[in-house]
Amino acid sequence: MIGASTEVLAFPILSSLVILPLLSSIVVALLGRTRAEWTKLAALTSSVTTGALSLWLLGAFKSGDAGFQFVSNQPWISQWGISWHLGVDGISLFLVVLTGILFPLVIVGIDPHHNETSYFAWMLLLQAGVMGSFMALDLFLFFVMFEIVLVPMYFLIGGWGYDQRVYAATKFFLYTMAGSAFMLVGIIATVSLARRDLGFVTFDVIKIAEGATFSTNAARWLFVSFAIAFAVKVPLFPVHTWLPDAHTQAPTGGSVILAGVLLKMGTYGFLRFGVYLFPQAAMWARPVLYTLAVIGVIYGAIAATMQRDLKRLVAYSSVAHLGFIVLGTFALSSQAVTGAVVQMVNHGVSTGALFLLVGMIYERRHTREISELRGIQHVAPVFAAIFTVVMLSSVGLPGLNGFVGEFLILIGSFESARWWTIIATVGVVLAALYLLWAYQRVFHGEPDEANSSFKEINIKEGMLMSVFVAIIVFTGVYPKPVLERIEPSVNSFIEHVESRTK
Amino acid sequence: MNDISTFVGPVIDWLAISPLLALLAGALVLLLVGSLTGEWPWRLYAHLAALSAVVAIFVSVRLWDDVDTNGARLLIGGALALDQFALLGTIAICLAIVLVSYLTSDYLHREGVDMPEIYALYLTAGIGALVMIASNDLVVLFLGLETLSLSLYLLAASNRQQVSSQEAGLKYFILGGFASAFFLYGVALVYGVTGSTRLINLNTALASFIPVPRNDAVLLIGIGMILIGFAFKVSLVPFQAWTPDVYQGAPTPTTAFMASVGKIAALVALVRVFVVAFPSRSDDWGAIILVLSALTLVVGSVVAVVQTNIKRMLAYSSISHAGFILVGLEAASHRASPNVDDGLIGVAVYVVLYAAMVVGTFGVVSVVTSDQANSDASGSTSLDSFKGLAKNQPMLGLAMTVLLLAQAGMPLTSGFVAKFGVIQAAVSVGSYELAVIAMVCAVIAAFVYLRIMVNMWLADRTDTTTVVVPTLSRISIGVAVVITLVVGFLPSLVLNLGSNLAELASK
Amino acid sequence: MLNLLWLIPLSPLVGALLNMAAGRKLGDPRSGWLATSATLISFLATVMVYFELLGRQAEKRSHVATLFSWLPVGSLQVDFALLADPLSITMSLFVTGISTLIHLYAIGYMHGDAKFSKFFVYLNLFVFSMLMLVLGENLLVTFLGWEGVGACSYFLISFWHTRNSAAVAGKKAFVTNRIGDFGVMTAMFLAFSSVGSLSYGAINEAAHSGELAAVSATAIALLLFVGACGKSAQLPLYLWLPDAMEGPTPVSALIHAATMVTSGVFLLTRINPVLHASYAWVPTTVAVVGAATALFAATIAVSQNDIKKVLAYSTVSQLGFMFLAIGSGAYVAAIFHMVTHAFFKALLFLGSGSVIHGMHHEQDMRKMGALRKVMPITGFTFIIGWLAIAGVPPFAGFWSKDEILLYVFAKSPVLYVVGIFTALLTAYYMTRQVIMVFYGKARWSDHGAEHGAHGDFTPHESPRVMLMPLLVLSVLSVVGGAMQLPFSKELHFLEHWLAPVVEESEAYIGKSWAYQNKYLLLMLAIVVATTGIVLAVAVYAKGKFKVVEPKVLEQAWHYDTAVARVVAGPGAASFNLIAWIDTNIVDGIVNGVGQVVRGAAGSLRKTQSGFVRVYALLISIGAVAILGWLLLRGVVL
Repeated sequence: MIGASTEVLAFPILSSLVILPLLSSIVVALLGRTRAEWTKLAALTSSVTTGALSLWLLGAFKSGDAGFQFVSNQPWISQWGISWHLGVDGISLFLVVLTGILFPLVIVGIDPHHNETSYFAWMLLLQAGVMGSFMALDLFLFFVMFEIVLVPMYFLIGGWGYDQRVYAATKFFLYTMAGSAFMLVGIIATVSLARRDLGFVTFDVIKIAEGATFSTNAARWLFVSFAIAFAVKVPLFPVHTWLPDAHTQAPTGGSVILAGVLLKMGTYGFLRFGVYLFPQAAMWARPVLYTLAVIGVIYGAIAATMQRDLKRLVAYSSVAHLGFIVLGTFALSSQAVTGAVVQMVNHGVSTGALFLLVGMIYERRHTREISELRGIQHVAPVFAAIFTVVMLSSVGLPGLNGFVGEFLILIGSFESARWWTIIATVGVVLAALYLLWAYQRVFHGEPDEANSSFKEINIKEGMLMSVFVAIIVFTGVYPKPVLERIEPSVNSFIEHVESRTK
Repeated sequence: MNDISTFVGPVIDWLAISPLLALLAGALVLLLVGSLTGEWPWRLYAHLAALSAVVAIFVSVRLWDDVDTNGARLLIGGALALDQFALLGTIAICLAIVLVSYLTSDYLHREGVDMPEIYALYLTAGIGALVMIASNDLVVLFLGLETLSLSLYLLAASNRQQVSSQEAGLKYFILGGFASAFFLYGVALVYGVTGSTRLINLNTALASFIPVPRNDAVLLIGIGMILIGFAFKVSLVPFQAWTPDVYQGAPTPTTAFMASVGKIAALVALVRVFVVAFPSRSDDWGAIILVLSALTLVVGSVVAVVQTNIKRMLAYSSISHAGFILVGLEAASHRASPNVDDGLIGVAVYVVLYAAMVVGTFGVVSVVTSDQANSDASGSTSLDSFKGLAKNQPMLGLAMTVLLLAQAGMPLTSGFVAKFGVIQAAVSVGSYELAVIAMVCAVIAAFVYLRIMVNMWLADRTDTTTVVVPTLSRISIGVAVVITLVVGFLPSLVLNLGSNLAELASK
Repeated sequence: MLNLLWLIPLSPLVGALLNMAAGRKLGDPRSGWLATSATLISFLATVMVYFELLGRQAEKRSHVATLFSWLPVGSLQVDFALLADPLSITMSLFVTGISTLIHLYAIGYMHGDAKFSKFFVYLNLFVFSMLMLVLGENLLVTFLGWEGVGACSYFLISFWHTRNSAAVAGKKAFVTNRIGDFGVMTAMFLAFSSVGSLSYGAINEAAHSGELAAVSATAIALLLFVGACGKSAQLPLYLWLPDAMEGPTPVSALIHAATMVTSGVFLLTRINPVLHASYAWVPTTVAVVGAATALFAATIAVSQNDIKKVLAYSTVSQLGFMFLAIGSGAYVAAIFHMVTHAFFKALLFLGSGSVIHGMHHEQDMRKMGALRKVMPITGFTFIIGWLAIAGVPPFAGFWSKDEILLYVFAKSPVLYVVGIFTALLTAYYMTRQVIMVFYGKARWSDHGAEHGAHGDFTPHESPRVMLMPLLVLSVLSVVGGAMQLPFSKELHFLEHWLAPVVEESEAYIGKSWAYQNKYLLLMLAIVVATTGIVLAVAVYAKGKFKVVEPKVLEQAWHYDTAVARVVAGPGAASFNLIAWIDTNIVDGIVNGVGQVVRGAAGSLRKTQSGFVRVYALLISIGAVAILGWLLLRGVVL
């Protein structure tokens, strides 16, 4: 976090991670008019290449280096001091990688059923936007990416979703846009205030964070303007209600991406921009955010318990899980923040996998009503087994990935936010309640004739899920490689915050 | 006193006013030759109108560099100003004329008629507009204003088959007259106080004397009346009531023309007058602008939500756009702030980009809804006519989507650059509340654009007839979309212009 | 030999993975043999490690094997490490030993089950987790095992998941345990924030040196005790254990009698210095809860008719004894009783399993009787188990229970009375069970038809593979007491062995009245046991007194039903309320905003009447407003 490491790479890996999907989405859109049958192939190649690049990035990333790596910084709109400034550090690395591998999986794994061309075009555009927002080190660029993501997601939900899709898509779009409306004003204000200290106009988040100091009052207002946008995106209680609708109505692929990476733009934003730019204000706002986060944990869990729609249940579980992440983000201890970052990735994997599985159930039974499903384990034991593993990871069973993040967050927050942490820990109990209860009703019992024809998981689905299971188990058993890449950046981040809040 | 023989005519820099002349020439040819000869082949009317506008654009570009080197100056004895602020407006207006002419040509051909008058009126209106935006004298300004308005009245009523068109024209005419009266009174009062109508003299005169204790009520009333006059033309709330009816009633291309040229001219002139002539009273009018802008934003975006007719929707959206532009003017009223010029630049940039957006959008509307133009207007231009458009005409649907997203201010479109400009101006002078109101209204307005997109993409087409996109319309819509996207990705293109924009000739 | 330590947990894990991969191919019974040998290997490894440790001097009998660094973040450095010391090795010895026997038994018991191989996957997985639990070098590794056994118990309880009751019981067990886990997790947070480490070494050292403040020690101890109550089925969290009997009987024997349920006792023993360093009332609380549970469960066991339910409640009661011991500072006695209990309770459960197997899955004791004739070996071994638990000398149970009561008396005579009365009840209900199942009239013949057997149905003795473990366990139940005989210090083998782990905290009772008169107490215990037996015989065999089996006891004091009612009633209601609030209020506001905008638009729209005069009016209003304000400015301001 202390300045970007200035080495310039021969190959602009980060830029290509954004531009490749962007271009390919255009290519796909054009292909659709003449060679519709090629579009899936094109989308696949593009996303797989992007995935490969992101994995290469993971390999080339120097662990132990706290600063930004693979930085590319070209002037974009010089009049406003805006530049195409990308970089990854331990905090963003795994989110980028997750984005890199989640999209190909979704594109391979899920068939949109109709209008393939536009579906894939939107998907790739979405990927470009998400990638961009995780790597952007320029406030303007970040905002552009953060905002542009709404468009493809809107069309994915509205175009390929279920019966309530238009309502859900519109709600999603307007709700999040309303949030970012405040952020835009905040960003501009930040820049024009920072100008006084810096003597020049720049949207470069590092320059501003390191160079500018804001008056207590201004900083608080600015932080709030950012916080609103991120709170909606996360989503934090009480601005979470767009999520269940969006998730339930979105096509499986959309839900996976939404839960997998989109929500993380909120938590990541809190970390990278909210807290980084306005440490004192963040400290000042802490109690509120703790409280909202913890309410989210408990409230989300309780609401999840009472859902009749399996997908809606998972959606509410997301609200609960992201509450943990926000708690960790603001606890600002090495363990808590590292845990928060880890949990961003883990939640992406586990909940993404859950949505895939629910999608498969829907494909087979054309219903997500828990009451319609029964005894599936009897007819599809392997499917049930995979579901169990994913469920337990989401419950936070030690040895699976979910536990690592949750535990680090809680043990790290205990020092600074004792009572909130204790309440949040109750959420761990509840997680077992709603997931196991749902599992019992859906998978246990004697299958009725509607469910007795439930098809066992097929090869393609199996291979798809095995990737998730592999990540779930590996991260749970041996998280060290992940932690040691995240921690240095987190530590210097915390140093920065502490140096400003002394 | 001054005897006729000693009267010396002003020096006239013909080149500097050649954009005017170009349009004038075009108009004359169209009217004279057009009325003498029979109907011209190959869409020549449109081409001629477009040609003269293009010439005007080229000259303006040429003049732009001239101003860069020799600086801004006054023309014709200070009647007109030659500065980049005006030139940018000129370019925007002429661009609008070109695009609209082509739209009109297709439209009229679909109606089975093609007549030179329409194009001539576009050009005369254009002349009026150019005079307005460049005028450095309230009387000259009024001349331009009336030239523009009269042409617009006629244009609004130009669709003879339609009652609604006639009604629109008449409404516009009556209320327009009402507003002009306000304007003229305002001028008179201001003249009474200062003894001049030259913006620059007004400024010097007023700056020199600010009575203590204050009693320049007469002056302020004058300013207020001028403002009201403008407010009507720009259709600020509560002076906007005519807009939806007229926009809906008028033939769609004409609506595009009014929404672009009419608004631009009035807005640019408004800004010039208040920034150049009355900066010394900016505290007084700034507050009003603030309120008007907020009102316009809110009402424009909110009422749009419940509209079912696409043209009315866009009418309201154009109203809220005007509100957005005023945010820039409001910023320009903070004379204390060092960033006061950002407001001017913001307005100028917004105006140009808005012109492209709005013409493009109405262009699509005129193409899509044209097939039933003979039936009663409200029915044909109802939102339903967009159902399933994207499935029927993917490229057209995509174009419309881009334009709508631009109007919603989505990043990577010119609309975002425009909004960003004015918001940035507002914030940099510290009027945060207005910035926030504007952004929230942008969200509400976004709902309207979403509704149109929903119909295009997510609804099934009711009538099976495939929409045909004639070549000329295709060109003008295409140009609009390209501008929207290119500027969206590379804002520098327009921002580079910014350097001297705020150098008003008479400041 | 200590480098074999990692093999102890690894081998069952490998066994599980192999069965996961190839179990279906191996099929019945080969996959069973695979699993059994996997546990056998880890038993042998444990034995080797045991002798290795035995060869060292007492203070050197502790070895840490770090496999890899698990959660290294800043000041938190958690290793994936195993700890071999007298305590953990004692635990692993009987865990692996008994597991091996029960695996063997299960080969016979589960024979012909559709999911035969899967059963052994779970079973091996359980053994692995249990070993992680006991061998863990820090709280987190233990917690890994702790949750692991929880999960496996969940899988195994609802193994026959098509049966709804099984599914519900599994979920109930897991969720109830989670409530306990809340305690364990918060205890870890507290330990980390006050000690800065999760390793037992550091925590116990801090507690020992007094670096750990009494208040933190108290909190940690209590929180861990909450966890222990969950796992070891103490009041108020015992609820799940009786239901857990839905699982196959080998599972009940292994998990819900011998091993998993004792892990709470183990955990408290593991952190005995913390317990020692906390306020004096903490051990007392533990003791009281233990005594209460012991008595409570014993009373219920008196009037259960399900053969397994009786044993289940008896398990709860015996676990109560162990906590009573811990609370009285009798750690050695607790472990001692844990081991002997593992022997005879496993024996009893397997015996009951053999009966159920022979009775074609009939579990109601009222439909049994006189089975010793048709199932001689089962009967014989079961009777040994009965004598052991009833506290008849010289069987194992007698010695361990007596040891506990000795310490309890030293701590508080009141608790002693509770304990001894529980012992009486234990003897009573176990005798009742033995009589109902193995003696008296054969009440099963006439039920033949409904058990699927044709015509005259006679229960059959179980196959050899099932009887072998019974015999082994019965031997252990006889001689198990030998590891800690009261007669002279030399015979306190277990005490010497565990000394390095527990001696600081072990209560010293040498001077107490109880210790002086321990033989008196011994006699008293014998008398009590015999009384219980005689009473039961008089009631159930001789019919001298009429049977007293109050409904309230059969209904377990209505505790379970009461809790269920609360959960289903107010609990569910409040949850529903929140869900309702979410859709109708939180989201209602959001949609409300939309409605407001529409409403406003609707009313504003009315001004758009289309009449020029109205528009003119609007303009005039606007004009008046603007001019009026300017006039104000111009004149006044």
